[in-house]
Amino acid sequence: MSNNNDKPLLRVQGLKKYFPVGGGFLRQARSFIHAVDDLEFDIPMGGSLGLVGESGCGKTTTGKLLVRLHEPTDGQIFIQNEQGELEDIAHRKGESMKTFRRRVQMIFQDPYESLNPRRTIYDTVAEPLVVQGIGTIVEREERVAALLERVGLTPATSFMFRFPHELSGGQRQRVAIARALIIDPVFIAADEPTSMLDVSIRTGVMNLMMELAGEMGVSYLYITHDLAVARYMCERIAVMYLGKMVERASTEELLANPLHPYTRALISAVPVPDPRISRQAIDIKGGVSAPIDPPPICRFFARCPLGDDFCENNPHPPMEDKGGGHYVACYKV
Amino acid sequence: MAEATPILSVQDLVMHYTTRKGDVSAVDGVSFDLENGKSLGLVGESGCGKTSIAFSLMKLLPDNAKIKGGSIYVGGTDILQLSHDELLKFRWQRIAMVFQAAMNALNPVYTVGDQIIEALDLHWGDLSREQSRERIGQLFEMVGLDPKLMDRYPHEFSGGMRQRAVIAMALSCNPDIIIADEPTTALDVIVQDRILRELKKIQEKLGMSMIYISHDIAVIAEVSDRIGVMYAGRMAELADGVDIFEHPLHPYTYALMRAFPSIKGEKHELVTLPGEPPDLLFPPPGCRFHPRCPRATDVCKQEQPPFADNGRGHFVACWHPMEANHE
Amino acid sequence: MNMTVQTSSVDTAPPLWQMRLKLALKNFKSGWAIFKENPIGIIGLVLIVFFALLAALHPILMATAWEPAVYDPITGYDFEILIHPSPPTWIPQPDNPMWEFSFRHVLGTDPLGRDVLSQLMFSTRSEFLLGVGAALVTVLIATTIGAVAAYYGGLVDMIFMRIADVVYMLPFIALLIVLSSLFDFELIHLALVYGVLAGFGGTTIVIKSQALTIKVKAYIEAARIAGGNDLHIIFTHLVPNLLPLSFLYMMFTVTGAIFSEAVLSFFGLLDIRMSWGLMIQTAQAAGYLLNSWKYWYLMFPSGVAITLLCAAFYLVGRALDEVVNPRLRKR
Repeated sequence: MSNNNDKPLLRVQGLKKYFPVGGGFLRQARSFIHAVDDLEFDIPMGGSLGLVGESGCGKTTTGKLLVRLHEPTDGQIFIQNEQGELEDIAHRKGESMKTFRRRVQMIFQDPYESLNPRRTIYDTVAEPLVVQGIGTIVEREERVAALLERVGLTPATSFMFRFPHELSGGQRQRVAIARALIIDPVFIAADEPTSMLDVSIRTGVMNLMMELAGEMGVSYLYITHDLAVARYMCERIAVMYLGKMVERASTEELLANPLHPYTRALISAVPVPDPRISRQAIDIKGGVSAPIDPPPICRFFARCPLGDDFCENNPHPPMEDKGGGHYVACYKV
Repeated sequence: MAEATPILSVQDLVMHYTTRKGDVSAVDGVSFDLENGKSLGLVGESGCGKTSIAFSLMKLLPDNAKIKGGSIYVGGTDILQLSHDELLKFRWQRIAMVFQAAMNALNPVYTVGDQIIEALDLHWGDLSREQSRERIGQLFEMVGLDPKLMDRYPHEFSGGMRQRAVIAMALSCNPDIIIADEPTTALDVIVQDRILRELKKIQEKLGMSMIYISHDIAVIAEVSDRIGVMYAGRMAELADGVDIFEHPLHPYTYALMRAFPSIKGEKHELVTLPGEPPDLLFPPPGCRFHPRCPRATDVCKQEQPPFADNGRGHFVACWHPMEANHE
Repeated sequence: MNMTVQTSSVDTAPPLWQMRLKLALKNFKSGWAIFKENPIGIIGLVLIVFFALLAALHPILMATAWEPAVYDPITGYDFEILIHPSPPTWIPQPDNPMWEFSFRHVLGTDPLGRDVLSQLMFSTRSEFLLGVGAALVTVLIATTIGAVAAYYGGLVDMIFMRIADVVYMLPFIALLIVLSSLFDFELIHLALVYGVLAGFGGTTIVIKSQALTIKVKAYIEAARIAGGNDLHIIFTHLVPNLLPLSFLYMMFTVTGAIFSEAVLSFFGLLDIRMSWGLMIQTAQAAGYLLNSWKYWYLMFPSGVAITLLCAAFYLVGRALDEVVNPRLRKR
């Protein structure tokens, strides 16, 4: 493994994705949804980052940008290449893009939609190998079988030629994990991979993901709406609100000492699976709206209990280090 | 425990779905009581029968479902014996339901207010339009919606607002019991938290009894006085909320609690249960949990454990319950 | 980076192709189990098999029981019967002293003295070829265009959909009549033209809308992340998921093609030696069409055959719809 610990595996700078609203063929869009607006973060080699936020905050879009399912409107996505140098892949195309595809993979939320119902488990897991032209048929078969066993689908030979509909949700998600790992990626974006699974199945998949990531030295971005899951899965957590990152810190620091008013409200709203613990809910007014052509001021201003004239007349606050790598974007803390 | 007559008493309820592959035993011998003014939380994974119980209580069963046995007493009347017409009056006035997926519970072509008027008319009979609108205004205020919104269409509402409207609809006929089936599942945490708190407030104010149904043990823990844990169509354990968390007796309950991550307290390793819930077309004999149970012995494979009270209102169906001081 | 996983024992498994064959068989069996529960489909299938047998039997009969000079569907003539057309020989003819009971002409003879049953059986094969040929062309075009238009969207989609709108609006039969009067139309041409028209028209729109629902599935994105190019995604992910629907529309195209053949033949616009439509046309040209009660055997057999075969494919299509569309199934 070409390891270089000084450099992050992945570095994102000024990442933006605007989606046009109401435009069409030969018709210019008038307004834009600022789905992801000026993100900046690093993920170290072998590290994990939990991306947390409510629906519509841009966390899934961020994941899709990192694996280049979307092309960013602006900004850079640096990722270490095989030589350990940072390469910007934000606007890659063609053959060099295909090489980059070997380095990053994604695991999707819905295990019923992420596997092609007409292809066998073998076809699905081997697809990256086939597309990238890696190995002979026999080698691929061996590799798929070995990985299926590793993700807990034993005996692999009995699973390889089944179809997705013959598998349970948990088993399907294991297949999706196998597909993501088959070409030895260095980075995986996992988009709520366990949110549709039942509790007794979910923990198995979560533990498996962590184990495999550790074993194979894969870094991951774990996208979730559930802070408790993010706490369990990730070393660091970043909170997003309407396309902006508002706070980022190591997991325990963020949960114990949240600084941004939104993070505080979010944490206080999470129900605790124990009636003996009572929590103090912090209420914030209003609801989430879509960030269509938002004003340049702090995105959270309309709902913020701390907001004042200064916030109203200044641009969205920059991410500032409050010590120990605890970044927060707020003028008032 | 049971000093007062319970408002709802379910005994040995058995419900099957007929499918092309055979009968699915979705609910198999479930019994529980609900005391007046209290809340009961039913928790379990998908397919454990918790939603089937809700539909049985409302007698709103899909075509292929059939109640095979048992009784459901609401205030002394067995609703399984009621005629169709009696049932129509009974439903919504005595028991109302807040449906899962608020998206589909509202008809997109009518305004939200008109849909509630429909429910009102059905049960209050001759209300003038002004009276109805006044009542809806009260209901909207009660659930935290601006009464001006009653002339809007469902698509103009956010997910949280829609869920509130559905709650208002359930409240419209002053029911004694409200069943909330996954009332906050599709919602974000902040909205979920608000709606749960409001439901609790309304319940206290109106003195209603509530049944919460959820897959999320954390949600159930927050809102329920008593908690029933379901597994594969049967009630595994039923006890007071604190009791069940302090002394879970059923190995499944124990595993379920250890499988939930929390943002509070020590970070602990999450325990995984081996295997998957059984296919209810062919439920395992004996205790339905035995194939996945670390404590299973031969008796578990052959005989169904009785659903017994340990003396303090803590029911459990297990041959080898956990010791009270296992931790 | 190395593979961190250990290789395991796959050598015990049978080779890939064998597994795939087994899977295909299994798939077919489960589909058949659903299909056979539907009486509609079974009726359709029985009819299709019946007509297939008719078609297969004709050359055998010609080589054995039927004398070519009498029974040839195009050049045959029965000298033993004085007046043509003649009714079926097994029906008593009170005003004909020559009549005796026989199965010589089960469906009678046409105005030119040819055996109607032989004509009917002979034509069956070309009806099948026409129907299936047209359907294959349609499905090939519609599936490809539907998948491509849905996948790329934008300008490509717009162009193909506008073409589809135009073709869809065209009055089929009228257009075919014009075309066949301008050019020498044989059966194969009709199959091609009909297939192309159906392929570019309505079928494409239906298949494209299905393709749109598949295009947004996460497995398409997964294939893109794996590095798959457009061709890979269209042909390994989109098209296989469209095929069941395409197959269904194939059945409906067969019906349409056979029907339009009958119409064109009836107008005598098709350069064809014998067909069901032509049989009716022969009767019409000789002036018997206005006297159908008496000369029923000239119109009925071919008319019924057209109706039944069209219905058969349609019924099979409807039953297949249930196999393809789980939502239509009863629980």
